Amino acid sequence: MSAQEKYVSILELANQNGTTYELTEGDNGTLVVTGTAPSAEAKQALWDEYERLDPEFKGGDLILNIQTAEAAAAGGGMHTHTVESGDSLSKIAKGYGIQWKAIWDHNRDILKDPDKIYPGQELKIPM
Amino acid sequence: MRIKFLTVLSIAIALFIGACGGKSDADLAKAINDKFAADKITGVTVAVKDGVATLTGEVADAAAKSKAETAAKGVEGIKSVTNSLTTKPLPVATPAAADPALTGKITEDLKKAGCTGANVSVASGKVTVTGEVGAAKYAECVQVIMQSGITGIDNQLKKGK
Repeated sequence: MSAQEKYVSILELANQNGTTYELTEGDNGTLVVTGTAPSAEAKQALWDEYERLDPEFKGGDLILNIQTAEAAAAGGGMHTHTVESGDSLSKIAKGYGIQWKAIWDHNRDILKDPDKIYPGQELKIPM
Repeated sequence: MRIKFLTVLSIAIALFIGACGGKSDADLAKAINDKFAADKITGVTVAVKDGVATLTGEVADAAAKSKAETAAKGVEGIKSVTNSLTTKPLPVATPAAADPALTGKITEDLKKAGCTGANVSVASGKVTVTGEVGAAKYAECVQVIMQSGITGIDNQLKKGK
């Protein structure tokens, strides 16, 4: 049985509760469901159904990547990194596999100097 | 004119019922096609023989396949449905970012969600999760990982107390 058939009830639920989704095939036949739910409740309903079918999500054959419409509108492909004590732009950049200048370019509105960042600051990380 | 039309129609129906003792296969196929049109189900070819409907064609996904079968079964006079629909081949998923970037993003997201016991490593977009988190946090931590744009998962995360 394909992953689609195994998890068909999640897809049916998504169609009912107004979640839009796209299906792709990931690693070794993994079904990747990428979508946007109209509300946090709708998203939770999908996760509840997933949990019912696979209580500890250990099957490895489904990746449920559902954002709420609200988060999708706000996020726009940026990730937020909260600065911790000991962080530097180059250290943070290394952690994400990008150049420090990319972080600098996206955060000039809150940073005055690339060498001066402070714990608690929220930096936008281009992904 | 209207009365004449109705009379002709009633005679036709009476004759039809007398002759067939029920709906013909062609009528059943039409009823299914009408139902599909109403439910916005497209790409399905219907054949009915002796009250058994066979559905062929290619639909978007398993949910669409199941929906078509349920709709056909709901048509009065259909004895059973043979669902031979196929689903579209899926495009290959591409990871949202390179492995180090994904690792960094997931690690940071897990930290924010309070999933401190979970460890991740990413290779070619596939994440391996190890460690242990409390039962109350478990589902949330898995959600965080799956929402990061990965394309595979080996979930060895333990569900603690």
